[in-house]
Amino acid sequence: MSPDIPGEGDLWRSSWEAAVDGAVAVVDCREEIPCNPCEEACPTGAIRVGPDICAAPRFDPQACNGCGRCVALCPGMAVFLLDRREKSGFARVTVPYEMGERPVEGEEVQVVDGEGKALTGGKILKIRALGGGAPTLLVTVRVPESVALKVRGVRYRLMERDGFREVDKLPSLADYPLCRCEDVPLERVRDILRTGLKSLPSLRRASRVGLGYCQGMFCQSSLRQELAEATGREGEEIGSFRVRPPVRPVKLGFLGGGNA
Amino acid sequence: MPEVMSSEVVVIGGGVIGAAVAYYLSREGAEVMIVEEDDLAAGASGACDGFISLQTKTPGPHLRLAMESAQLFPALAEDLEVDIEYRRCGGLLLATSQDQMKELRARAKALKAEGLEVEVLTVSDLKELLPEVGKEVKGGSYCPLDAQVNPISLTLGLAQKAQEMGATIIRGCKVENIVVTNNRVREVHTTVGNIHSRRVVCAAGVGSNQIGKMIIVDVPVLPQRGQILVTESREPVLKILVAGAEYLGTKANIQALMPADVEAAKLGLGFTAEQTAAGNLLLGSTREFVGFDNQTTPEAMNAIARNALRYLPWVEDMDVIRSFAGLRPCSPDGLPILGTIKGVRGFFLATGHSGDGICLAPITGKMISELVLDGETSLDITPFSLYRFK
Ligand SMILES: Cc1cc2nc3c(=O)[nH]c(=O)nc-3n(C[C@H](O)[C@H](O)[C@H](O)COP(=O)(O)OP(=O)(O)OC[C@H]3O[C@@H](n4cnc5c(N)ncnc54)[C@H](O)[C@@H]3O)c2cc1C
Ligand code: SF4
Ligand code: SF4
Repeated sequence: MSPDIPGEGDLWRSSWEAAVDGAVAVVDCREEIPCNPCEEACPTGAIRVGPDICAAPRFDPQACNGCGRCVALCPGMAVFLLDRREKSGFARVTVPYEMGERPVEGEEVQVVDGEGKALTGGKILKIRALGGGAPTLLVTVRVPESVALKVRGVRYRLMERDGFREVDKLPSLADYPLCRCEDVPLERVRDILRTGLKSLPSLRRASRVGLGYCQGMFCQSSLRQELAEATGREGEEIGSFRVRPPVRPVKLGFLGGGNA
Repeated sequence: MPEVMSSEVVVIGGGVIGAAVAYYLSREGAEVMIVEEDDLAAGASGACDGFISLQTKTPGPHLRLAMESAQLFPALAEDLEVDIEYRRCGGLLLATSQDQMKELRARAKALKAEGLEVEVLTVSDLKELLPEVGKEVKGGSYCPLDAQVNPISLTLGLAQKAQEMGATIIRGCKVENIVVTNNRVREVHTTVGNIHSRRVVCAAGVGSNQIGKMIIVDVPVLPQRGQILVTESREPVLKILVAGAEYLGTKANIQALMPADVEAAKLGLGFTAEQTAAGNLLLGSTREFVGFDNQTTPEAMNAIARNALRYLPWVEDMDVIRSFAGLRPCSPDGLPILGTIKGVRGFFLATGHSGDGICLAPITGKMISELVLDGETSLDITPFSLYRFK
């Protein structure tokens, strides 16, 4: 019997102990819900839900061969594999992975707990797909034993793209684009208004707000609002600008084709 | 606003020409007021391309004026607070027949004789400048000095800088009458009040004929509509200005370069393409005399698109997101009308720039400023006098 099981105490004692000989499932299924794919997935009968489909699954580590089918097929992602045969203070954890970015063996990733909080970094040892049309990949990462039972997933894209950057300050309102099509920030519109332009079409010409793809469908009212505030006039007095043909984008090839 | 205003110089019109005149006058320390019926860049200057094209100018005074003007742009780009998106990108004129090639060759020779750098290119030479051209294209001429600018930014930038140097800009102010006594301009009557001034510059674009009538002078400027298609924004795909030989034909009334197609000739269709700094392609354009109508028409939009596909087939899959039309202040010979009026002192014309107002704005501003303040100009502008038409 292993003296200290990090984290969940006795809950997964049998899995924890069996894992010294190789991969074994850890079933973290707590809700009593009508669900039993794990039972159907398991070729050895190691996981049993039984006739009451709402019962929590019962697990027998001695029968488990570590194939990982349950990991891939559990819709709640409630099963992972634990493998402690290295006995060096590190364990191998296999979690399901269904994000768009395909991870790469050998890369460092962030491992996260059930709430998505980062636990530590870990190296991807192996990636496999069980096939059968299921998109789920099984990703095996090497992590310190101390966190092994907490690992529920890997965060690949953030590592890859953004590193561990934290958002500490939101951009100011003035930097937000008033017009997304032409990417014109609110502050630019206000700068232009300070030069004294008076009409909505002039403001459009000078700022380019309303001259992009949407032709002002999204931004005209915001622009009118800004002009109204700057000039102390009412929206109705300001009026609106004319959408210029074509009202919707049209391919040049079509416009220049025989549709005259 | 005071009941009666006054200014040393009143500039009528807040287009690129009025703004340039006000800029150069303010730089010399003159007291300037721009009066604009609508808003800055509301006329042709806000509805055009940004070609600073030299090889499309007529050899002689026209070309010399344009070359002088082109030289002023880099300093302007430095001096103005607004980014005018000036780029010396070079320009191409494409021929779609051997006859057009012959004409372009002859023109290139004439332009070179006046000191402009122009190269005649074969189709295979074109490959280095353009990703792909239509099968009909037989070659072209290339001018490395041709450049590009954002005409709206240029107009607003000139006006803003003039304002910083002390000029007053009055928008929503229409000139209704000009009072002349003892053969001298005295007062400008506007919808927002009267302005005492002994010097008035008419830079009213297509409104110039109306302004001329106020002092009983016929200023022969007619509105000529030009329509443009705007595509979605893309990564840089067109690094230079491109025009078709027919564009030059309809622009400069060169018979040998006119469109062969009857419908195209009626629309005054001529191919132009440029990519703006924002990434949109501007595809042009037409030349139509339809009065003051500045709407776009489905026929012209179709014709411009068809023509564009002829020259640059790869634009086929781009989305057209917009169209617009502008009214060129067109003079009988397409050249600007600059200078004074006989019998009315203090009245100056800076109008009729037709399809070249953006290109010629800096030199026009400079020359008119010299004329207003010193009574003479450093370049000979007599070829552009109103009296050449008589
Ligand atoms: C489709 C198209 C493409 C073009 N492409 C190019 C190009 O690539 N390169 C180039 O160099 N040129 C080009 N041009 C030509 C260029 O746009 C014009 O020559 C230039 O804008 C003329 O400037 P402007 O200041 O004289 O006139 P405008 O910009 O029209 O300004 C005149 C101003 O005077 C005001 N006004 C008129 N009457 C009165 C009054 N009574 N009281 C007060 N204000 C008044 C008007 O409201 C207007 O704002 C193009 C033109 C068009 C239409
Ligand atoms: S790992 Fe394989 S053998 Fe073990 S419980 Fe899951 S499905 Fe059954
Ligand atoms: S498939 Fe997953 S969620 Fe469903 S009972 Fe089995 S372990 Fe629980």
